[in-house]
Amino acid sequence: MTVERVLPGLDSVIHAQARLRVMVALSVLPPGDQVTFPRLQDLVGMTPGNLSTHLHKLEDASYITITKAYQGRTPVTYVTLTRAGRQAFEDYTAALGELLSAANHESVEEKL
Amino acid sequence: MENGPPPELPVGLTDPSHLSPAETLALIEAQRRVVARSLYVDPALILGAWGLAWLVGGGAGYLAADGWLAAGVPIWLAGVISGVLFAAATLVSFGEQARRGRGVAGPSRRVAAVYGWSWLLAFAGVFALNLALEQRGLPTHLVPLLWTGTSLLAVGLLYLAGGMLWGSRLQYGLGLWVLATGAGSVAAGFPGNFAVLSLAGGGGFLVAAAVARARDWHSERAA
Repeated sequence: MTVERVLPGLDSVIHAQARLRVMVALSVLPPGDQVTFPRLQDLVGMTPGNLSTHLHKLEDASYITITKAYQGRTPVTYVTLTRAGRQAFEDYTAALGELLSAANHESVEEKL
Repeated sequence: MENGPPPELPVGLTDPSHLSPAETLALIEAQRRVVARSLYVDPALILGAWGLAWLVGGGAGYLAADGWLAAGVPIWLAGVISGVLFAAATLVSFGEQARRGRGVAGPSRRVAAVYGWSWLLAFAGVFALNLALEQRGLPTHLVPLLWTGTSLLAVGLLYLAGGMLWGSRLQYGLGLWVLATGAGSVAAGFPGNFAVLSLAGGGGFLVAAAVARARDWHSERAA
């Protein structure tokens, strides 16, 4: 069982640094665009094993799709953000923003 | 993630729950910048390469045609200089696109590929039209005007299209400028058409490159 202590209101699938990085990278691509595994690896700076693990967690949540295609005889793995994934990431950043503004609010009140 | 961080995570990527909302937001912004920079096709590089090619290539054409310099530039040399510079600018444009788009597929890349093909097709059209007119006995003194005029027309229209595709006012504005340059080059007559191509055309591209670079600096600073 996971021992992650997630901030209230934050999507626990996304709120792990490695997966967050992947979600950010995919969200920067225009909607519908796919990226190959090696390029994604470059963009987020992770080892193949590590990236693969996190991709599968994101795929289980239906936030990304992983497709295997062939270029000639070479298999190429493409990763793309699903519509649900893009929405989840937007919700996540929105929730984060709310947490942050609430925290700022509290600290201002403390000072008063 | 049983008890503690997984062993593979690099330094700083340990237990996510230790990140505060502010730190998480900073992480998002940092990662976003890295990815955006890696995917960013540098317009200043491409515009600068074309600006240089036009400025020097058109300039060589003018000097060769006019014999303005005492030494004079032979026609063949002007041709070689322009050819090499235009080939180099083409390589820079396609190379930059390919490098930034490496490993990316999908709608945005398809648009970029179709746009790239449009350049090839447009210039195939320009060549077919101009060669046919020459064969049909277009007076020799009009031939250079036809080439600079139609080339600039094609380039101007493609920049208008690029401006529409990517919502870039800079590209659209450059397209308008190049269209005006094309008309101006024909109005100037031979060999002034080469001077217009060099100074107004090449100069326009270089100004656009400088504007693009200044914008990049500005947004880097704001980030």
